[in-house]
Amino acid sequence: MGALLGFSRAIDAMNARLGWVADWLVLLSCLISAGNAFSRYAFSISSNAWLEIQWYMFAALVMLGTSYTLKKNEHVRVDIVYANVSTRAQIAIDIFGFILFMLPATVIMAYLSWPVFHNSWAQGEISSNAGGLLRWPVKIFLPVGFALLTLQGLSELIKRIAMLTGHMKADLHYERPLQ
Amino acid sequence: MNFIPLAWMAPLMFGGLVLFMLVGFPVSFSLAAVGLFFGFLAIEHGYFSFAFMQALPERVFGIVSNDTLLAIPFFTLMGAILERCGLAEDLLDGLGQLFGPVRGGLGYAVVVVGAILGAITGTVAASVIAMGLISLPVMMRYGYNMQFATGVIAASGTITQLIPPSLVLIVLADVLGRSVGDMYAGAWGPSMVQILLFCGYVFLVSIFKPQWVPGIPRESRTLHGWPLIKKCLWGIVPSLVLIFLVLGTIFLGLATPTEAGAMGTVGAIGLAVVHHKQFSPTARIAGWIALVVITVIGIVALAAPALYDELRAWLFIAFYAALAVVLAEGIRITELRKLIWQASQNTMRITAMVIFILIGSTIFVLVFRGVDGDPFIEHLLGGLPGGAVGFLIFVNVFVFFLAFFLDFFEIAFIIVPLLAPVAQKLGIDLIWFGVLLCVNMQTSFMHPPFGFALFYLRGIAPKEIKSSEIYWGAIPWVVLQVIMVAIVIAFPQLVTAFLDKGNNVDPDSITIEIPQSDFQNRDGSVELPGTAEGEAQEEEETPPPPDFSTPQK
Repeated sequence: MGALLGFSRAIDAMNARLGWVADWLVLLSCLISAGNAFSRYAFSISSNAWLEIQWYMFAALVMLGTSYTLKKNEHVRVDIVYANVSTRAQIAIDIFGFILFMLPATVIMAYLSWPVFHNSWAQGEISSNAGGLLRWPVKIFLPVGFALLTLQGLSELIKRIAMLTGHMKADLHYERPLQ
Repeated sequence: MNFIPLAWMAPLMFGGLVLFMLVGFPVSFSLAAVGLFFGFLAIEHGYFSFAFMQALPERVFGIVSNDTLLAIPFFTLMGAILERCGLAEDLLDGLGQLFGPVRGGLGYAVVVVGAILGAITGTVAASVIAMGLISLPVMMRYGYNMQFATGVIAASGTITQLIPPSLVLIVLADVLGRSVGDMYAGAWGPSMVQILLFCGYVFLVSIFKPQWVPGIPRESRTLHGWPLIKKCLWGIVPSLVLIFLVLGTIFLGLATPTEAGAMGTVGAIGLAVVHHKQFSPTARIAGWIALVVITVIGIVALAAPALYDELRAWLFIAFYAALAVVLAEGIRITELRKLIWQASQNTMRITAMVIFILIGSTIFVLVFRGVDGDPFIEHLLGGLPGGAVGFLIFVNVFVFFLAFFLDFFEIAFIIVPLLAPVAQKLGIDLIWFGVLLCVNMQTSFMHPPFGFALFYLRGIAPKEIKSSEIYWGAIPWVVLQVIMVAIVIAFPQLVTAFLDKGNNVDPDSITIEIPQSDFQNRDGSVELPGTAEGEAQEEEETPPPPDFSTPQK
């Protein structure tokens, strides 16, 4: 169990770092987007590369940030049942869900999305807009994001099992995220 | 080999989804898992081939590369900053003192401020929290009925959802495959009616239950005459600037909704800086320069277009430089730096959560269509008595009850794509349909005990206010909301009259043939042959792929 928990801590630390990157991407993409509008007002200059970079960042922030969001238990649930059962039952629901729902889904999605990146990379796919960007650097976030999510799912699974077997203090704090 | 007939797949899928979501595992992963499970089941049964599943990642890529959805983080970020930048305080303090002596005056002030904040930002949390923090203590002090006070604050906060630039409308536009600009234009009428309806209710309360909404004694006003007017202006002028920056630029076609959200965020940061007590004198001068230059730009642009073309670059450079000095204060002042950073962190997690619901629902809806889910839903809903009106009433009752359990993002992403094809077949204008659903989904914020607005209010309300008071207080406003839904159903002109006539097709004249299964569009919405855009596309030799992300206005 100790080794597994160590593995889980390593994943948590890695995804927390990537979450930090995603936080920065929110701010940066926002400034770039405002900058695009500002430069159009002042100089009538508009660059496809800069227009594209903002959604590149969007893709990156979603795919990198989702694992950290999972770690913080902030993927929204329908909590009519969940909020009214014991902590043990909540842990059971989570273990059941990670094994049967989440992990198969993220593994399949990572597997299916690999060719999307690979084809783009092999063909050297470039945006059809004039001055557009190379596509594979954004497409790589699909397989990478789902793979990271799989790892985070494993980490959460390990932690839930540790909670159930008493190797870890049971702490399942769930609050519906603010909107 | 066929253990499960095709006709059973769609109902089984839907039932499975309901069951799995009720268990309480995160919605996005439940959706994806149900979709993938049934997808492979369908391949096993030969209902579609594996190539079908390989289309999934392209769909996911379509979501994360969607410019319009980028508005979600920007508006969320803007709301998170506005919530604590002091604008709501100024507005409520000023307007509260102005209207206060009138019976029910604080109620009117809250409705009006809710509408103003709604026209600036796109998130409910920001409005409710800001107004609750400021107005609730004042209302308590002067003996307002607490059920009324909490109700009016929560309800006015949800106006944000309907009044452009609402996040819900952006999301619905995307799901329904319509332009955000049209969606915004269509929402104007209903949001004005809603404001009037709310004010009307406050008026009725002040007549029939005067003890609930006492006027504030004039002696307790701290400001009179010019200082009071100044206070009001200090709140209203920045609001107007922000409204122009966000809404004005969208409607003038200067910026996409996404860029407008980003500019609004910059504006909100600027406003937070200006309101902060550590705002340095140097930067204050820069702030005034920025204000003067932008006024000059406005005047020259209107009065002397030729001169404007020549001077434009220089004027804007001066403005941006001054703005940059002001914004730099946001980094210098520790408190603001923390506020901005915290807002980005929250925004990142909300965005990831929301987009993953969309990813999950896209997987679900794609497979659902593949196993003939659309005819199943049509069969269920198409045969309702009363044709289009019967359908609308049923859908609204359905969404109303669903809103007890689901948030608007979940409803918009899971339910709306299933309903839209049926609505279209019945000849219902999708903009009208979207605005109608938007009005309806406002109730999802107000339903006790899960409603978000109530939840926020509980979080910030003083301990003396009982939860039951907050819950009971919401009921009359939910009833008003239901009346609103009825009004919008009865008078579609409220929505359609504001739409650009060129794009507007009489809802009754459309006959649309929908392809049974449409796998082409990335976001699960069906293509729209037969509408104005559809015909225009057919005339071209190679029709461009539908791009829903560009605003038409």
